[in-house]
Amino acid sequence: MIPHTDGALRMLSQRLMTQLLPDLKSLYSLSDGALIGLLINAIADETAEGIQRRLDDIAEMKLIFIAGEALLSSRDKEVISAELSSYRLADVNDHHDALTRILVSLHQKAEDKEIEALNQSIWAYLRRHSQRHKITAVP
Amino acid sequence: MITTDQVKIAAAEYLGGKWDTPVTVCDVEKIFGGASRETYKLTLEVDGETRGVILRRDPPSSLIDTERHLEYGAYDRIYPTDIPVPEPLFLENSTDFLEQPFSIMAAIENPMSDVALLPEEQKQKIGKQKYNLLGCLAAKDPLALKFDEIMIVPDVASTATEQLAYWQGVINDDEIHPQPIAQAAIRWLAANLPPPAEKISIVHGDYRTGNFLFNDQAQITAILDWEMCHLGDPLEDLAWSLDPLWSGEDLELAGRLIPHGQAIQIWCEASGLSCNEQALKWWRIFVSVKAVAIWISSSENFEKGEGKDSILAMAGWVMTDRQNRILLDYFSPEVMS
Repeated sequence: MIPHTDGALRMLSQRLMTQLLPDLKSLYSLSDGALIGLLINAIADETAEGIQRRLDDIAEMKLIFIAGEALLSSRDKEVISAELSSYRLADVNDHHDALTRILVSLHQKAEDKEIEALNQSIWAYLRRHSQRHKITAVP
Repeated sequence: MITTDQVKIAAAEYLGGKWDTPVTVCDVEKIFGGASRETYKLTLEVDGETRGVILRRDPPSSLIDTERHLEYGAYDRIYPTDIPVPEPLFLENSTDFLEQPFSIMAAIENPMSDVALLPEEQKQKIGKQKYNLLGCLAAKDPLALKFDEIMIVPDVASTATEQLAYWQGVINDDEIHPQPIAQAAIRWLAANLPPPAEKISIVHGDYRTGNFLFNDQAQITAILDWEMCHLGDPLEDLAWSLDPLWSGEDLELAGRLIPHGQAIQIWCEASGLSCNEQALKWWRIFVSVKAVAIWISSSENFEKGEGKDSILAMAGWVMTDRQNRILLDYFSPEVMS
């Protein structure tokens, strides 16, 4: 296993930017390399925190679904109650996406039926979600 | 992927044929930053004189075939006017020379595009020109400039709906993950359509600081990147230019240059148009949705491997993140109440 994967990525990014890029002659390659270095840092953050962030989203969305249960279909409820098949990123993403699609639909229903409390709780979740996933590695 | 040596050889042959005189390409520099096309600056020797041209080559994808024609057509029609753009020289649709179609334009001498470190008075000077030029563009008659030959002329009443439908379609087609913030914004836009456009204008489509060049006298010398040019409500360009994404740290400054109020006033004076507050609010939210669409398309392009440029990943990940937060600010309870 790769120890401290996120730290390893950051070290490789640092090596790219401080050791390899200065030797490049083309301004294009230098700019491209510098941006790649920053993006590797963003991936390092995602490697460290990405799955937990998605799990936090999932837990919060499930609370919203409890509040909006009356507006959910039986198919929605099946998807919501399904267990994660694994903690592999692809599986967590699939589950997160499935719940987010239900959230989009629930948000629309809350607007149409003017259920303000539910509408506002979804907006509040979207703000927390956005803050949680904020990319800070690229200035 | 082609090398700069290939560009050098092909450009010399191509331009030599076009100008019917030997052309030597002395230098080729690939320019970083353009996500849609590879851009090269070429230094030429022609008839004993040195001149620069910019060559923009399509990526290996047919998706932007129409955009290439529109962009070149826009340059061609704007060049004779008082709006400064680089002189369009050639549009080559065949793949005979550089494996992909390309266009060539005259290079602008001593170009600068980064305003970050300019002194305050130069920022003011450039900001005033930027909004005066945008107003002048809005005032132009697209039909007199024959834009109807290359673009659809929308109706004043339907242009907002059509633009919204187009960019909603891009989001639905290209999203890798669901976009709950953009979808909520789209529903709001559909339910709160603006009044009809005051007129149908030439809309640059990406009018922002960074997409124009200026010289050391703080004089704007060229408006660039017309690939999203279309006809529509001129408030769209004004709104796009005011988007917080282009403001940097100081959200009060339009494109890091002058205060929003001053920018709008200059635009109104130059265009002879009014700026309905509710309509501008609609277009400001719309342009953020449009931007999300562009950024997630970049992400999709990067993921599918159609474009391997790191700028696509940057736009797709970082800009989507920032643009969603801008939309959230628009829909915060304090703003919407």
